[in-house]
Amino acid sequence: MSQRFKRHPELRLAEVEGDGVVLHLGTRRYFSVSESGLLILQALESPQSVDDLVRRLMEHYEVTAAQAEASVHEFLDTCRVAELLAPEEAR
Amino acid sequence: MTAAGVRVRCADSGVRAALEAWIDGLRLEAPAELMLEVAVTQDVPTELADVVFEQPGVRFARHPEGRGLRLAWDEAPAAAEVPADATLASVWLSPAAVERLERCTRVFLMAVLVVLLRRIGWFHLHAATAIDPHGRGWLVAGNAEAGKSTTAALLAASGWRVGTDDAAFLERHGERIVVHTCHAPIALRQGGRRLLAKAGGIALPARGKVGFWPEDLGGVWAPLVDPEIIIFTSVGDTRTAAEPLPRSAAVAELVRWSAWVMLELDLAQRHLDVLTRLTHQARCYRVTLGSDLFARPNRLIELAT
Repeated sequence: MSQRFKRHPELRLAEVEGDGVVLHLGTRRYFSVSESGLLILQALESPQSVDDLVRRLMEHYEVTAAQAEASVHEFLDTCRVAELLAPEEAR
Repeated sequence: MTAAGVRVRCADSGVRAALEAWIDGLRLEAPAELMLEVAVTQDVPTELADVVFEQPGVRFARHPEGRGLRLAWDEAPAAAEVPADATLASVWLSPAAVERLERCTRVFLMAVLVVLLRRIGWFHLHAATAIDPHGRGWLVAGNAEAGKSTTAALLAASGWRVGTDDAAFLERHGERIVVHTCHAPIALRQGGRRLLAKAGGIALPARGKVGFWPEDLGGVWAPLVDPEIIIFTSVGDTRTAAEPLPRSAAVAELVRWSAWVMLELDLAQRHLDVLTRLTHQARCYRVTLGSDLFARPNRLIELAT
């Protein structure tokens, strides 16, 4: 079964002019994310696989599966560094 | 019941009377009944685990059960507990804290009140508030060095209605965000008084400032402001300048000056939504305040409208 990801429970999100605002109440840090990043974080309220997230991006944007997958991996890497994912990723 | 909608329960009648006078003086028109339940005791629970925030003299920790906040004062034993969904704050004051009740009130109990007001959807923002001669509401946000008080005093002296120089409380009211203010003196440092050429005022020695009521400056106190313009200020040299701020950058600034948004899991989304919505209704600017403003205070209107 593929690995599934979930956002950190102490994140709070808001949409501003298409982009996203992210508060991490655990680290008390503020982030701005792109529209697609916000879309991914919104989806990660519940556990999602990379394939789930790729499908989500392709539903919203005119991108190929390869482009969407690259975007998802890049964004998840950013999220790991910023501790935006749940400490124990759902499996 | 005090006029502000905040009640005080305390067995010590002297402390109760002093706190009721303080709350009455703030003239906060809270829509729901709030309660400060105060005990004067030697046994103050000042030990805090999981401290999540500190401001000068006051520490904040998440409640051990995960919901709500506990606060402790550093200058003398005093503590408070405000559960997440309660409109009552339990406060413990030591005799040493009661001995310096004015300072305890201004520093510690004000912080308790800020937390308590969050329970009714009033979210604190470090900002001055004003209404210009055209009836437009303004927020002037920034830190202690951002010129908020001097600007508020200058605008009051120029015929604007002014609410506060620092303590603004945001509330969602229908589709709008409105701002409630305390009735408190605008606190000026010596430099601000000199620039305004203002003598007199109320000595605030503990803060190294002198206070002026908006009315003393020729203005009118505005308890409620509906913001149409938000400026994030810093102090520059001679010429006042403004640049429009994208909404995302404005939200980041509001989060910075309304740092309580980070503290409570239960209320953070509601607080963030209020800050975000505020940028929908108001035009936002970053403003560098220059000395030219003292000759032409309404230059702010020219720059930011």
